[in-house]
Amino acid sequence: MKLFSSFVKELKIASRGFYFYIEIFMALLILVLFLFVIPDNFDSKKSEYIYLDMPAEGSEIYLKAILDESIEGKAEEVKVKINKEEKKASLYTTDNSRIYILTSREDTIYMADKERKIAAIIGMDENYNFHYEYYLQGYESARYKDLLKILHVHSSDVIEEAMDNIEVRPLLINYDSLSDRENMLPSILVFNGSLMGLFIIAAYIFLDRQEGVIKAFALTPTPVWQYLMSKIGVLMLTSIVSSFIVLLPLMKLRPDYLLLLVLLITTAFFSSSLGLLIASFYKDIIQAFGTIYIFMMIMILPNIAYFMPSWNPIWIKIIPTYPMLEGFKSVILGSGDTSYVLSISAGFLFAGMILFALANHRYKKTLVV
Amino acid sequence: MITVKNLFHSYNKDGNYQVKDVSFDIEKGEVFGFLGPSGAGKSTVQNILTGLLQLQQGEATLGGYDVKNMSKDMFNKIGMSFEQSNVYSKLTAKENLHFYGKLFDNPTRDPMELLKLVGLADKADIRAGEFSKGMKHRLTFARSMINNPEIWFLDEPTTGLDPSIAADIKDIIKQKNKEGITIFLTTHNMFIADELCDRVAFIVDGEIKLIDSPENLKLQYGDKLVKVEYFQGDQVLQKTLSIVLPEDKELLRNIIENHEIRTMHTKEATLEEIFIKVTGRGLI
Repeated sequence: MKLFSSFVKELKIASRGFYFYIEIFMALLILVLFLFVIPDNFDSKKSEYIYLDMPAEGSEIYLKAILDESIEGKAEEVKVKINKEEKKASLYTTDNSRIYILTSREDTIYMADKERKIAAIIGMDENYNFHYEYYLQGYESARYKDLLKILHVHSSDVIEEAMDNIEVRPLLINYDSLSDRENMLPSILVFNGSLMGLFIIAAYIFLDRQEGVIKAFALTPTPVWQYLMSKIGVLMLTSIVSSFIVLLPLMKLRPDYLLLLVLLITTAFFSSSLGLLIASFYKDIIQAFGTIYIFMMIMILPNIAYFMPSWNPIWIKIIPTYPMLEGFKSVILGSGDTSYVLSISAGFLFAGMILFALANHRYKKTLVV
Repeated sequence: MITVKNLFHSYNKDGNYQVKDVSFDIEKGEVFGFLGPSGAGKSTVQNILTGLLQLQQGEATLGGYDVKNMSKDMFNKIGMSFEQSNVYSKLTAKENLHFYGKLFDNPTRDPMELLKLVGLADKADIRAGEFSKGMKHRLTFARSMINNPEIWFLDEPTTGLDPSIAADIKDIIKQKNKEGITIFLTTHNMFIADELCDRVAFIVDGEIKLIDSPENLKLQYGDKLVKVEYFQGDQVLQKTLSIVLPEDKELLRNIIENHEIRTMHTKEATLEEIFIKVTGRGLI
């Protein structure tokens, strides 16, 4: 009953303050951006600018080869702005790229030099052999440059044949995946829920310190842990509300919401307890800001591994936000690994309990500080 | 009701004590004044007694409960009005008291009744953040009564209040004392202490220099003086004379017999003057 009274009081204070609305506002802003601005899948097609420096017969052969790969099977007549002038070009769209066939060597070099685009000039000698001039920007990797050097050792027919003879066999085909937009959601949940919780609970504590109310609370029969837990309760609720604001309209019924609730509660408990413990060492938010900032930066690092799976060192897996991201991804997929989510939830609950016990011990000792 | 024996406290735990060998007893129903300048150790002793600071060395009991091992029940019996107002600025006056009342195990007082008592009934639904310093102080004072405390700690209860409100607060303290509540009053205001306290302790640099009732202190340390104004021709003269010294007694008799008296008052030493005399220190 006392815990509930404290929770209601904290909820009233939070609803009359500034921080509560930051999270809700951010959730609504994210939702609007995701619904109306961010596409479901990002366009990863490269734009290439090519000039065919060869007789018409040679061009026809080359263009036919490109046409065979194009999605629509035809070229589109477009205009490309080159040196403040709109010039005609033919556009071929394939699975991986947009190929603009320009009408002059100078225009092609201009696109590479001034517009920093991928450009090439393909010529033909008197023996009807193709030769290639690639215009690079300087940042290309050595591997890419080496590939270009050996690419034309044999004719394209030989390379094509060799590629056709290589079989690529996926080991798993019936797996669920998220769209590019959906794939960003775990990161949003971790940041807006857990990491903001770490910062906001510290802000709440410092506000109470400034007002001295924690001293008055300490002179009641109600234990200090209930005071701390009521604050965590508010953070949990905010985390749940802001996460559902984002997820429900975007993911509809696909995620396992019960599992999501378990993960949200345990991760919010963990990060709020961490925030409480950090705040217990400082008198005000200005003093604590450096430490909170360092912790938040460390917690953000696993996002790099999440979005760039090729960079995934072992040490990054120790940072708590790594399993948080994987857990939220699993939940959002809907058909995710329930036992994995439950096991990391248990881990966060256990770690949160240790942090909370330490924080409680610190606050009992530092009430008049 | 309160027993303190050989209390020592060092904030840095380095042997540099801010409270040194403090001992005193307070009877049930007594108003005990803890007087001293800022930094004398008054609040440290009070914080140890209320459990806000850990007891490091010595013994202390509060209503029979050992302060070293604070019992949950003990907190149901104590109330504390802080010198620095500490209420939730985002809650209204009524919400502040209502919430605080929920934290106790025993029956608590009606928030509106308490707000009426301290003159804040018409401000019940206004957030404490909008209150003046004096109003916040009254709210903090009202909150300290919510659980009907048997032991009441008052830290500078009238500081920053205008005289009429301060008089109301003093009346409430007197009334609660009549009801049998034990009061531990921490102040550097000697007039308040003189008016309210049954006994006072003078504390300087963490040490108690003296404990006695204000009346006894005045008798013991105060000079017995008479201040007289009289006419001599057109002039008004003024003299302060001892009623103990024979030459001053003779002079006073002479003035009364031969001059028209304008005013005549006995002059008692104030607690502040006694404090300075005993401790060699001022109160600020």
